[in-house]
Amino acid sequence: MLNLPRKLELFYDVLSPYSCLGFEVTLLSCSQEIKGGWDCPSDGSEVLCRYQNIWNISLKLCPTFLVGIIKDSGNLRPVLVPQKQKYLRDELQHLAEFYQVPLVIPRDLRGVIIDEGSLNAMRFLSSVELEKPEMLEKVSRELWVRIWSQDEDITEPQSIQTAAEKAGLSEEQAKGLLEKCSTEEVKKKLRENTDTAFRYGAFGLPTIVYHLHDKSHMLFGSDRMELLAHLLGELETLCLTVVKTFLVSQPCLPARITTEEEIRGSRYS
Amino acid sequence: MASLLRKVELFYDVLSPYSWLCFEVLCRYQKIWKINLHLRPTYIAGIMKSSGNKPPALLPLKGKYMLMDLEYLREFYQVPIQVPKDFFSVILEKGSITAMRFLTAINMENPEMLEKASRELWMRVWSRNEDITEPQSILAAAKKAGLSEEQAKGLLEKCSTDKVKNSLKETTDVAFNYGAFGLPTVVVHVDNKSHMLFGSDRMELLAHLLGEQWMGPVPSTVTSKL
Repeated sequence: MLNLPRKLELFYDVLSPYSCLGFEVTLLSCSQEIKGGWDCPSDGSEVLCRYQNIWNISLKLCPTFLVGIIKDSGNLRPVLVPQKQKYLRDELQHLAEFYQVPLVIPRDLRGVIIDEGSLNAMRFLSSVELEKPEMLEKVSRELWVRIWSQDEDITEPQSIQTAAEKAGLSEEQAKGLLEKCSTEEVKKKLRENTDTAFRYGAFGLPTIVYHLHDKSHMLFGSDRMELLAHLLGELETLCLTVVKTFLVSQPCLPARITTEEEIRGSRYS
Repeated sequence: MASLLRKVELFYDVLSPYSWLCFEVLCRYQKIWKINLHLRPTYIAGIMKSSGNKPPALLPLKGKYMLMDLEYLREFYQVPIQVPKDFFSVILEKGSITAMRFLTAINMENPEMLEKASRELWMRVWSRNEDITEPQSILAAAKKAGLSEEQAKGLLEKCSTDKVKNSLKETTDVAFNYGAFGLPTVVVHVDNKSHMLFGSDRMELLAHLLGEQWMGPVPSTVTSKL
């Protein structure tokens, strides 16, 4: 496989809306060839040919448990500070429009983030990472779209099953991966990713670590993309919005992509 | 012509390095974008207290991250930030009340000097690792900004008046009422609405809300150097 000298690791949790933004923007910028692991996706060359490589960089998606990071670092959840919660609600609307990512605040924001959490969902993604890494991007997207676009549950097995099937897994495959969630192997995988992020200095998500030759650099937040591009010498090719990217690689696609159908369809078809 | 300029308020405290980054970017862009930039000296400790937030430096991992982040941003934003050796003491113990009262006094009496005086205070604490709490320190910054010794002393005396103390409190309350929980806080007024943005990393979003072009933190049309 390609042995690109520059590697990015993206530590994310679908519970974090900023992780979702970071996830989508990073994916836009990185090589299509290496996603969700280090192997070529089995989708075939059609998908590979559809998008130009924008940055010549390997991207590894690392499902991470946000609550674990918060706990290990002693950080405080932003949603627990009233002014921060209000700001998050207002800001996400602006960011959704700016990044052309269909984020919608759930009605019970605090309930979703604090009470319901994401342990089952992230264990499922760890399961996908172990068994079917080429599906990790799509399944992650279906899960974040459930909470952050459709205000739907991601804690129940049925919810996760639905997301997995929507991503393209068969019912049997999805059930098999769900069963694996309660195994030590999967629990350990999620813990390992979380510990790795913490060792890099993470105190929240998304956390991006980029490796160039022997050095690694950690950046926190979905708002460090421009700095990342600068550090990589890629400012001219930074694509912050779906609109920009699709105008570059697919001139025939609609100019504005605003619904989850479109964002899904534009990457899958 | 003036009616085409959109009001952008920057609530800042010189104790906050990210406020400095935001300040410099907006000072650069006020010559490029159709905006009227209003500098609002604000007391960050007051914002923290009212909102129940905590300074990021209190969390060890965040403090460590800030040191790294500021090194990258120094180069990217072309702002000569050097983290003070006693970083925690500067932020958590020494504070900025006198400095911010001084800037409030300038804003009331000599507002045309506010930009330069603010910059000189930042240069002291966040570039040369110098004090900003003692009267002598503040006088030195004021003189470097272009105020005469007499003017600077007069303004320093006004710092202990209720008028200046209340004015700083009021600005801090205004920021809080906009929803601030930290600084820098930018409030942009456009199309009869106001939008609050937090952090020096929301400038591109600000450009988007203004319908202006973002050309990075160092737009090439601005050639002056710090």
